[in-house]
Amino acid sequence: MSVRFLNPSETAHVRDAINSDPEFKLASRFFSKDILLIVGDAKCIVKLRDGNVAEIKLNPTFMNPWSFFIKGSVETWQKFLQTIPPPFFTDLYGGISRQQFELGGDIEAAFAHYWALSRMLDVLRELENESARTSPPAEAS
Amino acid sequence: MAKLDPAIGRYVYLDIQSIEYRVYFEQNGTGIPLICQHTAASDGRLWRHLLNDEEITRKFQVIVPDLPYHGKSLPPESVEWWRQEYKLTKSFFMDFQVELVRALGLERPVYMGCSMGGQLAVELAIERPDEFRAVIGLECGLSRARMAPTLDFHDHPRISNEFRMQSMYGKTAPGNPEKYRREIAWTYGQSAPPVSKGDLYYNFIDHNLTGGETQRIDTSRIAVYLMTGEYDWGNSPDQTRILAEQIKGSKFVEMKGLGHFPMAENFTVFKSYLMPILDEIAKNGRK
Repeated sequence: MSVRFLNPSETAHVRDAINSDPEFKLASRFFSKDILLIVGDAKCIVKLRDGNVAEIKLNPTFMNPWSFFIKGSVETWQKFLQTIPPPFFTDLYGGISRQQFELGGDIEAAFAHYWALSRMLDVLRELENESARTSPPAEAS
Repeated sequence: MAKLDPAIGRYVYLDIQSIEYRVYFEQNGTGIPLICQHTAASDGRLWRHLLNDEEITRKFQVIVPDLPYHGKSLPPESVEWWRQEYKLTKSFFMDFQVELVRALGLERPVYMGCSMGGQLAVELAIERPDEFRAVIGLECGLSRARMAPTLDFHDHPRISNEFRMQSMYGKTAPGNPEKYRREIAWTYGQSAPPVSKGDLYYNFIDHNLTGGETQRIDTSRIAVYLMTGEYDWGNSPDQTRILAEQIKGSKFVEMKGLGHFPMAENFTVFKSYLMPILDEIAKNGRK
């Protein structure tokens, strides 16, 4: 599966797309957390600072702490990132509820910033479905 | 000349379990009374499209209450509600509907509710079959106890109404009009902090029909219709199907392209599923 937010040549674009989204800007105030996204065996950490994505760090190690994680199989992310996802894959809460996604760590922070978090995931979905890509996608195992 | 909405809003005083409540409701139409009950932590605004539908209000007197503590129905004056935890119980929820029917002088109305209101449809068919001619339960099932561990996050000092707004937005189906999906979320941002958790006490804990209670339903006395949106992850079509299979004579409809708030997220699609049911109820007349 290819996902843009795991592609080394696209992380800057993904970061800028999230930061420039008008709804995310409203929702992300006071949001300073490190979110570990796990897609199958591939990982990245989205570092939020004062409501902005400061960095998307690929291939983090145990030396890179995180606040909370969102974990899903490649198949789960594939369904979730479709323009019109199938039932139970439309949003994070539903995905957690139906045990497609796993949420762990500081889940209080995840729910406190749920608007910004879910909008960020929606932007990732929109980016996945842009017709033109600027560079070849990375492969997640 | 002013453009006036056909729905009229006013208040009725109800005595429920020895406490007086000033209850707001909106109504429109004439014919068979049709009570429409909102979901947890929202209010009657979710039914605004149905309230204004000319085809439905030609045959039905549509009545949409705000449950006490919701919308324009304030907490009761005689209770120091700030000293006690708000908790909606099955007993209160059922008594509220029956007192509303009596106070407004309604003759065996149809009851339709969504989510927690949908769960109540089944409870009413079990416990109060002589009060209603038919119940329509939207987005309901035998039990939602698996969600009970999430209750605390619905009333938490560090988790604001934003969580409720966005999580309920996520329960609508993708592809439906964005303005209506956001409007649903908006109503969820307007309930008082303890209301969601208190309502969900009924929805997740007090409502539990896994003990065979549905076998007491006699659909020759009260018709039972169950409808669930394809995209409702909170209460999936499969969960409602299991409930329907336990109620002999009930009818179940899965609504494609809709989520947890069918009447509000895309009324046109919802109406296409609802009209055959309302027509059947109207055809059967007064039971």
